[in-house]
Amino acid sequence: MMENAIAWIFIFPLFGSVFCALLGMANRKVCYPISVLSMVGAFWAGVETLMQAVGSSSHEVSYIFGGWTLDSYPRGVGIEFRADLLGALITLVVLGVGLLVSIYSKLPTEEETPGKEPLFHSLFLLQITGLAGICLTGDAFNLYVLIEVAALTGYGLIAIGSNRAAAATFNYVILGTIGASLYLLGVGYVYITTGTLNMVGIHDAIMAPESKLAASASMQVAFVLICLGILIKMAFFPFHAWLPNAYCHAPTTTSCLLAPLVTKVMIYVMIRIVLTAFGVDFSFESTLWAKVLPWLVVVAIVSAAVMALAQREIKRMLAYLIVAEVGYMVGGVWVYNYYGMIGSIFHIISDACMTLCLFLGAGLILRKCKTTNFDGLRGLFSKMPLTMTGFFIGGFSIIGLPPTCGFFSKWYLITGAMVSERWEYLLALLFSTMVMVVLFFRMIERIHLAVSESGENLGKGHGDLGLTDEQTRFSEGPLTMLVPLLLAAGVVLVIGIYNQDVVNQIEIFLDNLPHDADLPKEAVGK
Amino acid sequence: MKAASMVPVFLVGFLLVFAATDFPEWGNPQSPASDSPVSSHFIGKTGVDTEVPNMVTAVLADYRGFDTMFETVVVFIAGMAVLAILKNSVKKGSVRRDHEVDAEPDLIVTNMVRLIVPVIQIFAFYVLAHGHVSPGGGFQGGVIMGASFILIALSWDLETALARFSLNRCMGVAAAGILIYAGIGIFSMFLGGEFLDYAELERVLPVSREMARYHAMLGVEIGVGCTVTAIMFALYANLSSEGKLEGGL
Repeated sequence: MMENAIAWIFIFPLFGSVFCALLGMANRKVCYPISVLSMVGAFWAGVETLMQAVGSSSHEVSYIFGGWTLDSYPRGVGIEFRADLLGALITLVVLGVGLLVSIYSKLPTEEETPGKEPLFHSLFLLQITGLAGICLTGDAFNLYVLIEVAALTGYGLIAIGSNRAAAATFNYVILGTIGASLYLLGVGYVYITTGTLNMVGIHDAIMAPESKLAASASMQVAFVLICLGILIKMAFFPFHAWLPNAYCHAPTTTSCLLAPLVTKVMIYVMIRIVLTAFGVDFSFESTLWAKVLPWLVVVAIVSAAVMALAQREIKRMLAYLIVAEVGYMVGGVWVYNYYGMIGSIFHIISDACMTLCLFLGAGLILRKCKTTNFDGLRGLFSKMPLTMTGFFIGGFSIIGLPPTCGFFSKWYLITGAMVSERWEYLLALLFSTMVMVVLFFRMIERIHLAVSESGENLGKGHGDLGLTDEQTRFSEGPLTMLVPLLLAAGVVLVIGIYNQDVVNQIEIFLDNLPHDADLPKEAVGK
Repeated sequence: MKAASMVPVFLVGFLLVFAATDFPEWGNPQSPASDSPVSSHFIGKTGVDTEVPNMVTAVLADYRGFDTMFETVVVFIAGMAVLAILKNSVKKGSVRRDHEVDAEPDLIVTNMVRLIVPVIQIFAFYVLAHGHVSPGGGFQGGVIMGASFILIALSWDLETALARFSLNRCMGVAAAGILIYAGIGIFSMFLGGEFLDYAELERVLPVSREMARYHAMLGVEIGVGCTVTAIMFALYANLSSEGKLEGGL
């Protein structure tokens, strides 16, 4: 069982999902335990795979489906799962988030989508299957299939809520399909010119000594198409229109699962395509794309931050923060140096954890207050202190206060910007950090004080804040929802404190890139 | 706005044509996609590896069987997503659709369908089982099978078709299809190979490693066929009646 750990990562949720659909018809009470148990199993397999990757001399685990091993058959005949340190780390993040959200899902699912629990849990587990598969696969077409699995389950999970959610999903379907089609078109071009779909095989074909592929128009267009497709999928600024509505109107559990993972996994796909499939030299030096994108990043971060500032509702504000964070990570990749790349990869991990904290917290607030408008937050800290502490640990991490993990990943991003002398990116980072400080401290003020929007003090004196009994009653959320939030907040702090261990693994990954292609550690002539 | 949206269309179109200028020559056997070690292996060794004459089926169900498993899962997800959105969204009989008329099923149409449905279903089994040697396989067979149930729903009404293949049974059959496919995969893993390594099934089947792959491919095609059949019909039943599951054409 140990040597197949990487396969168990998707077998657990896949079978869990099928059993949810089958057994859930008879008794829908069994779905929640099945869902949690299969996530526990998958998480164990993820830890085991990471351990194997760390322990092996090549720092990766390669697993070829169908027994078409590299010893007897050419590379690319079968489909390969490759868990190098990057893939295994991000997979573990996906599975960890999935595990916490599956525990959290019990009450919100029963309350928001009564009668549909089997469908919900089934789609939920398939979503994890798709996302974890994306992080592990080493085959460009298999990646497309898994992106489709993740996207379709995402549409279902969002639209299951209400009619407004279904309307928001429709936008998502259109944009998501365009993104996936562009990606598939790019893969088609790559296959025509290289004759292989295996990512390492594509890299070998480009880097072959007599190959002229690096300078060919079809290869460059393929690269641009693939990047464009992924940028749409990750809600990069001009293509972000689907995200805020979809995440706001989605059921609580869905937004807790999708918000931390989907955009981040797509950034992982971009890093994977750049580093493993096309290679550093081709991606950063052969295409015009690498000159244009850093400027788009600046526009993306600034405009998303400004839009976040204009929101009056927690979930919608968080959605725009995600769009800004996507800009950070894309920028970290395209500043083109070692530290920016570390920052980007580390930020994927920390952003997943802190976004999880924020959305789990927002779910609990919504359940208690029936609203997530800023005004509904008045005096909330005294009513649910644990929830608000968890929520604001996530918030502080997004701002980038030490010792949360957000501080360290942002530190590497800023180092990357300075090393490559990308001052405009540095300024955009600092600007959006300021915006986040304003956003979260505005909320902190509100949860501590019972002051209305117009500034009128609702309290008539000490201990009398003019609130009803129900509003002042001290009550935390139920344990199945509170515990995942506190665990997520704990993880944000633990990753922050042990940041050097995570960075060490990322450095080992970057030092062992194929073909000895190293990212520069100093500025490259602009 | 319409004029503005033409700009990216032409931009992308120009890029695609521009890139196509340095494609390998059309039909050139030396082009990378035809001449790579992978393609050569598929063309030259499929019969040796799997005993299957139809190399398309071998690539689909064995060499890249992992993709096909997830394609089947995608079909399953589509069915569940539609069910998730439409279930309980409209109360039964509350909204009458504009084009609805009260009419008895037509005598000629229903009798023709009565004759033709068994033939369609047997043909579906033929297409499914014959995928190894001729065009066909699980997806095609499943679509034909699903179409036979849709035909019943079209010529009588949904209640008649659902009495034969209820929605619960649909989802059960669809899930069972995935279970068959992934089950063969996990079974070969328990026998000592990788996931979906059909050759390991030789330990339980009285045949050679190559023939084990041949037979396992039929197994996974049956799984695909189950899922596609059930989801085809479930999608039709839900979408045509806006989730109410009643009424005719």
